[in-house]
Amino acid sequence: MWSLINTVLPSSSVLRTLFPLFGLAVCLTKASLAQVEVPRAPATVVAGSSFSVFTPGSGKATFYLVGPGHSSKQQIALGQDVHIKSDETASAGRYLAVVCTETCQSASFYVTPADPAALTFLVHPSRVPVQEENAISGAVFLFDRFHNLVLSPATINFTLTTDGRDLFSRSMPSNNGVAWLRVGSGRAAGTAQLMASIGDLKVRRVVRQVASSPCNLRIKAQRAKNNIVVETDPVRDCSGNTVPDGTIVTFTRTDVDGKSTVDVPIKQGVARAQMTPSAGAVISVASGVVMGNPISIGERP
Amino acid sequence: MKIIFKEMMLLLITTFVVLTISLLVQISTSESLPRVESDFRKAAPRTVEDLTQQSITRDYGFAWERLDRALSSNSPWLLEAYFVGPAKVRLANAIAGQESSGMQSHYLNQNHKLEAVFYSPEGDVMELHDTAQYDLQLVADGKHIQDEHVVLHYVVLMTPAADRWVVRQMQAVPQF
Repeated sequence: MWSLINTVLPSSSVLRTLFPLFGLAVCLTKASLAQVEVPRAPATVVAGSSFSVFTPGSGKATFYLVGPGHSSKQQIALGQDVHIKSDETASAGRYLAVVCTETCQSASFYVTPADPAALTFLVHPSRVPVQEENAISGAVFLFDRFHNLVLSPATINFTLTTDGRDLFSRSMPSNNGVAWLRVGSGRAAGTAQLMASIGDLKVRRVVRQVASSPCNLRIKAQRAKNNIVVETDPVRDCSGNTVPDGTIVTFTRTDVDGKSTVDVPIKQGVARAQMTPSAGAVISVASGVVMGNPISIGERP
Repeated sequence: MKIIFKEMMLLLITTFVVLTISLLVQISTSESLPRVESDFRKAAPRTVEDLTQQSITRDYGFAWERLDRALSSNSPWLLEAYFVGPAKVRLANAIAGQESSGMQSHYLNQNHKLEAVFYSPEGDVMELHDTAQYDLQLVADGKHIQDEHVVLHYVVLMTPAADRWVVRQMQAVPQF
């Protein structure tokens, strides 16, 4: 630094005299200013609680409180406690208490979350086939009443119920503010409730359990005037639940002319189609990957 | 007399050049994007897809860049694109407080080390730990009241939006 100055200002006797004097003046000015002391704040505070920050010294000063959801300024008298109201520290995180006169001093502290007061429960899917392993997933996040994520471990109870009966129950500790699980669906179609609870806090999510793929498809045929009416037995899954209306059933007629197919939605539990008769035709039925019994059609006597 | 005048002029020019350079350095730093390093190996129960990793890293950096701009100019609308829910509400409250007390905050020279710790089974929320380093400057009524280099730990919840990941929760903690 000195070499730089010497290079820029060669043989400057006046400035060489002025620089030390200027430096001395700056030092004296700084020294003469009132030095504010570091405020004393607690290391941690629970969200939503009131407390005090002590500001040593005497005279008047400006006090700033800066946090994740808060910034404020007030004039204070040094040597006294500054009262921080509960609503000023609702958000968890790092705060700074800054006291300024001519200079400033600061203290940092952390606001930690309060007790759990709300659960955010994400459950997927809302509609699930019966008897599927790990088909339902749930994740619970714990929040306090100020919507701070509660990071201290807590035990969450999960329960899956249907028609008032418990299908599944498990307790799991939260980790980093979250607990999650996967669970299989029940045997019977209908409404199931997945509940997460901690103490008196309870959150329910409804999962609609629907019949799985059809099982044991069976058809019967009946001659009408000019055609054949093909109809399934009531279509059920392997647990005996009625497959929902709208599920597509495919009828296929195979004869010497080739193949023709008809897609029919299930209505009131059965699927029905009309097909033109032909000698030696075979009618088969399928829904998804499930096939039913084929029927051979003979010529009208 | 001539020599003194010349020397004074030289001194003034040098001071001006030094001040201009330092100002330019500060401006270019505050406008540069935060550096974000990310690690998704510990994410569970769902594995984080490659494209999602890229999106998270990119969008988290953009979020902090917006946060810096919003808090240094007291412009809450800058939060819109990358913050939602409680994170946005809190930052907006902080900006309102800053505005009424004549303050601004600057988050300079940001470096973030991001680690995913939870990725929900259906991919609709991710929890991350960020070890952030930056120079925090607080300015009140035109005067620097705080100037510090900080290393802070943040717990972050991000959720997917239409075309990006957004910050839903951001909470500084003493340690992970």
